[in-house]
Amino acid sequence: MIEFHLDPQSGVATYLQIVRQVKDALRLGTLDVGDQLPTVREVVADLAVNPNTVAKAYRELEHEGLVVARQGRGTFIAMTLAPASLQHHEELREELERWLASARRAGLDEESIRALVSTTLRESLARRVA
Amino acid sequence: MAWVTWRQHRAHAFGALGLLVALAVAAVLTHMPISSAFGHDSLSACLPSSPRTGCDIIVPHFESEFSGLVTATRVMAVLPLLAGLFVGAPLIARELEFGTYRFAWTQGVSRRYWLLSKTALLAAGTLVAAGAASLLVMWWRSPFDQLEGRIGPNGFDIEGIVVPAYALFALALGVLAGLVFRRTVAAMTATLVAFGATRALVSDFVRPHFMAPLHRVIAAPATSAMPGDWVLSNTLVNAGGRRVTAGNEELAVLHAQQAGIDPHTYILTLGWRRIVSYQPAGRFWTFQLFEAGLFACLAVVLILVALWLVRRTPV
Amino acid sequence: MSASPLVARDLGKRFRRRDWALRDLTLTIPKGGVVGLAGPNAAGKSTLLSLAAGLLAPSEGSIEVFGRDPLQSPEVLAEVGYVAQGAPLYRSFRVADTLEYARRTNPRWDAEIAVELLTRIDSQAKVGALSAGERARLALAIALGKRPRLVLLDEPFASLDPLAGRELLQLLMDGVAELGATVIVASHVVADIQRVCDHIVLLSNGCVRLEGGVDELLESHRLLTGPRRPLGSIRGVREIVRERYSGRQQTMLVITDGPIVDPSWTVDPVSLEELLLAYMAPERLPTPRTAEGVPLRWHG
Repeated sequence: MIEFHLDPQSGVATYLQIVRQVKDALRLGTLDVGDQLPTVREVVADLAVNPNTVAKAYRELEHEGLVVARQGRGTFIAMTLAPASLQHHEELREELERWLASARRAGLDEESIRALVSTTLRESLARRVA
Repeated sequence: MAWVTWRQHRAHAFGALGLLVALAVAAVLTHMPISSAFGHDSLSACLPSSPRTGCDIIVPHFESEFSGLVTATRVMAVLPLLAGLFVGAPLIARELEFGTYRFAWTQGVSRRYWLLSKTALLAAGTLVAAGAASLLVMWWRSPFDQLEGRIGPNGFDIEGIVVPAYALFALALGVLAGLVFRRTVAAMTATLVAFGATRALVSDFVRPHFMAPLHRVIAAPATSAMPGDWVLSNTLVNAGGRRVTAGNEELAVLHAQQAGIDPHTYILTLGWRRIVSYQPAGRFWTFQLFEAGLFACLAVVLILVALWLVRRTPV
Repeated sequence: MSASPLVARDLGKRFRRRDWALRDLTLTIPKGGVVGLAGPNAAGKSTLLSLAAGLLAPSEGSIEVFGRDPLQSPEVLAEVGYVAQGAPLYRSFRVADTLEYARRTNPRWDAEIAVELLTRIDSQAKVGALSAGERARLALAIALGKRPRLVLLDEPFASLDPLAGRELLQLLMDGVAELGATVIVASHVVADIQRVCDHIVLLSNGCVRLEGGVDELLESHRLLTGPRRPLGSIRGVREIVRERYSGRQQTMLVITDGPIVDPSWTVDPVSLEELLLAYMAPERLPTPRTAEGVPLRWHG
């Protein structure tokens, strides 16, 4: 059973932190298909967070197909996050190197590129979940 | 609210019970010499309606023997005030002072219902306790009531139905004072002052006029010829009906003494008469009804004001 | 459609010739969820909760709880669980007496809910002998035991140590999960409540400075850091909330209306506490101006 923790100062919404922790657990293998997530009341009693927040996180995970809620019995993992296949990695890396070359040609230094990447990544994640 | 009122005021109930028991014990102990003297001297045969010879000696002797005790019992007039000081004043003032009104007035009962039911239950308890005290005094004073009457100030304020009425009035006064002053000590002080002032006002200026006083001409200067009645005033008037000043009366007495004549006889020959204004003993229960009714009405008015004010209390 | 738990319209409250504690306050609290009422001391938080609990009468405007005036209808009192600052209770009562009191003065009393919050507390203990944390739990137990639809808590964590405070929060959230009630928690320490609130109302000096869903607020605000320069409009920035200069650097709290991709700014998310502090700040600060001298709009 996964145990959640909360970083209130991080600026990241609580429900997103829960979603991320489930996904990390899936990636690391500490959660597997069929495992049950703690009930909303268990998380609430443990973390002292709003039940709506937990419900929202679980709904998001369900929306992404990672979990399934079984009426009266709980929420269970439905799918693992399989690491992308090696071939996809290779394609993506080549595409990235081409983009980096364009960015350097446009005059961005390393710090600017880093800033642009992290900002765009955050924005796109937020837009997807909203 | 019955359980709530009991739980919050059971200390008051036990205190009142303890006080009544103590008073009863004191009453029984102090009454023993009185009743033995009364029986020993057959004072029951000396009642105002049928005095026999010798009564004019033994009755004053009996009365002076116990006059200290009789005067001391007048302190029982303070008892009704206790209901106002210790039950009424803290009722709301304590809640406001300690902030517990924020707990009491946010449960599922309205402030008015809370106040009304508490006050009604406490009033019932107060009436019972005050009634018991009144009965106790009436039993204790029975020999004196028979001899000197109860309509006078020695007996009226501490016997009969006025005692519960006073207590109700004091309770209502305390409750309203607590609401207005919001601090227990201030409320108690205000209750004390208002109760004392009202009681004094009524007993000195209103009670004598519940019914028009009667008048009688008496021969002797002292009013011991009118046992049982409540003498309001004793005036010497001349033949023309005008009041004789104390100075003139002294002169006449001096004159009589110089001439070797009995002063009282001399005054009579001058045509002077002593007129006494009084309330007869038989009016006791009528007066009790008037006074008790007055104080009960005052109590009701005070409670209504409190019920109106409690909703508007800006806390 | 059932009425909103709390609606204030031009609400004003003044105490006896003193300053206005609340003025022109208009607010609608959404149903369900936990609302944090934040703001510095003397911002009007306690006053607002007292008005909602029917302990005070408005000087101006109106306040309605579930569509009714709390001062005029005791039925509303039965639906509102209120714990005042300091959790006032009768100190000479035992715990069991306090529960009995609540049972007899509330039409809908659920002893089970109340008892759940009182584990490890002796029911025969005198309330005056309990610790601050235990008293807070008892007060909360009373508030939740009447099965309220609205729970009002005024600085519940004020005198509690962190452990007791965390325990209280856990019990509160568990109770909320079971009852489905709306909760309004007033606290001047944001950290105490930011874990649990999904809606925030910031009061300062008797009026609302900021209001909204916590997630939306966190998403729509960003902290921009960069070299100091005259400002033009920045793509993605709808409005500048606050601005700070130090040496050659400037930091701005902004409201966004799109992604900010200007590489000359470092863009960071902002914590709820920083966000509230920024909106709480007093008004007398210089208005930032653009290079053309046009003032940029301040919020609040």
